[in-house]
Amino acid sequence: MATVEFQGISFDIDEDGFLQRFEDWCPEWVEYVKESEGIKDLTDEHQKVLDFLQDYYKKNGIAPMVRILSKVTGFKLKHIYELFPSGPGKGACKMAGLPKPTGCV
Amino acid sequence: MAFISAGYDPKHPMQDRITDIGPRKYDEFYPPVIAKNKGKWLYHEIIEPGMLMHKAESGDEVYTVRAGTARLCSVTYIREICDIADKYCGGHVRWTTRNNVEFMVEDLETAKALKEDLNNRKFDGGSHKFPVGGTGAGITNIVHTQGWVHCHTPATDASGTVKVVMDDLFEEFGAHNMPAPIRISMACCLNMCGAVHCSDIAILGYHRKPPIIDHEYLDNLCEIPLAVAACPMGAIRPSKHEMPDGKTVKSVAIKNERCMFCGNCYTMCPSLPLSDKEGDGLVIMAGGKISNRISNPKFSKVVVAFIPNEPPRWPTLSKVIRQIVDAYRTDARKYERLGAWAERIGWERFFEKCGLEFSEHLIDDFRDPAYYTWRQTTNFKW
Ligand code: HEM
Ligand code: SF4
Ligand code: SF4
Repeated sequence: MATVEFQGISFDIDEDGFLQRFEDWCPEWVEYVKESEGIKDLTDEHQKVLDFLQDYYKKNGIAPMVRILSKVTGFKLKHIYELFPSGPGKGACKMAGLPKPTGCV
Repeated sequence: MAFISAGYDPKHPMQDRITDIGPRKYDEFYPPVIAKNKGKWLYHEIIEPGMLMHKAESGDEVYTVRAGTARLCSVTYIREICDIADKYCGGHVRWTTRNNVEFMVEDLETAKALKEDLNNRKFDGGSHKFPVGGTGAGITNIVHTQGWVHCHTPATDASGTVKVVMDDLFEEFGAHNMPAPIRISMACCLNMCGAVHCSDIAILGYHRKPPIIDHEYLDNLCEIPLAVAACPMGAIRPSKHEMPDGKTVKSVAIKNERCMFCGNCYTMCPSLPLSDKEGDGLVIMAGGKISNRISNPKFSKVVVAFIPNEPPRWPTLSKVIRQIVDAYRTDARKYERLGAWAERIGWERFFEKCGLEFSEHLIDDFRDPAYYTWRQTTNFKW
């Protein structure tokens, strides 16, 4: 486990750059991650995806299926990739502070 | 090594990005004789083990020399294959669905010279680099998985066990001694990447202990409902766990007496590791096939409940496989796949002829369909 410092805050992360604890998430985390995820400017649309992922995770204990993410945000998968070039898992979930996707990924 | 850029600009990751171009089209790589006679083949012959001849309507012939590979290979090895292809085949070569390599030439003399050349190439340790064979009613390459080389859920090693079994059955790779082809496959956990569930003989990595629960990290690293839903036995439930420092964390509890060590929950949740040096080992399955020839496709069935992991040479494993192969070769009829043989003589005879012990582990106890695997008849042999 590594620790990174950003704007005076330290985050514990794993080798893939996912937060080790959801509670450690804060807006600075998004600022810190966005460059490595190929995002220049954070828009309202980015924020909408991140907010939904966090709400869903808090309520259900899991990340939503891609179809649920699309349905609720109204963003087609193609648009989610435009927002988060690494995709909903590696990009959006990482920025939202959710645990790393598992299974045969 | 110092960093050398390929031209990718990390400041502008999406700039000049090429995507969705798919694989190169297969016909770009056809040898000329294949391109010319595509869709117009009349018949084929197996000239000798490892060598096929296809005859086209035009009268053209193509001779294919098939050689075994280790599947896991270095660039150096691939370059040697390319050198051989350059020398004999105009730079053309192909890989088979069982990871053998095939070189194609247009006349028998070249094919024979090629076969001899391939059979003479050896590694420093003495192993053949390109043993010719894998055709007809013999034993061809073993379809296998990642094992300890790269995966995080294995209960055994793939490359190691496969090398051991192929060493032991090496003569059969370059011969046609069997009643029908024997397909051996290997998977290092019961995710069964590959073909173990539908092979004549299958080697499968198997755990015998329930997962260890890392309560401290579980809620941070795992989506708990996914771990619960991963379990085929309903052995996992969400729970609260009190840590030594008095803090209560969200975690899971596992009913060990319900767990049958599949490892699915670990696949979904990194805090439930279960691999274990003494616990882990191998299961052998037999009797599967995927072709429709005579009988329908079959699943392979468990015939050996446990063989310990014995790296690096897994002697018990190769002994057991040899027993099954020998019994089948001696007893089965021509064209009869291993599963068809076992079903004809009866599985009770299969165990007797192969000298395998039958234990309670082999009796299906998974849900309603288990019932159909028991014997609802008085038809059996003493
Ligand atoms: C407590 C006593 C018994 C129980 C619980 C019992 C139960 C059953 C059951 C569950 C079946 C299978 C029915 C099916 O295939 O759907 C069956 C079949 C049969 N039982 Fe019994 N049985 C009993 C006593 C007897 C006795 C005393 C006889 C004869 C004297 C008998 C003769 C048969 C026969 C001939 C069949 C076969 C019917 C067929 O071929 O479909 N049973 N029994
Ligand atoms: S069979 Fe299991 S352990 Fe082996 S490569 Fe597939 S998932 Fe990994
Ligand atoms: S190893 Fe398999 S059976 Fe055991 S608790 Fe995990 S998912 Fe359930």
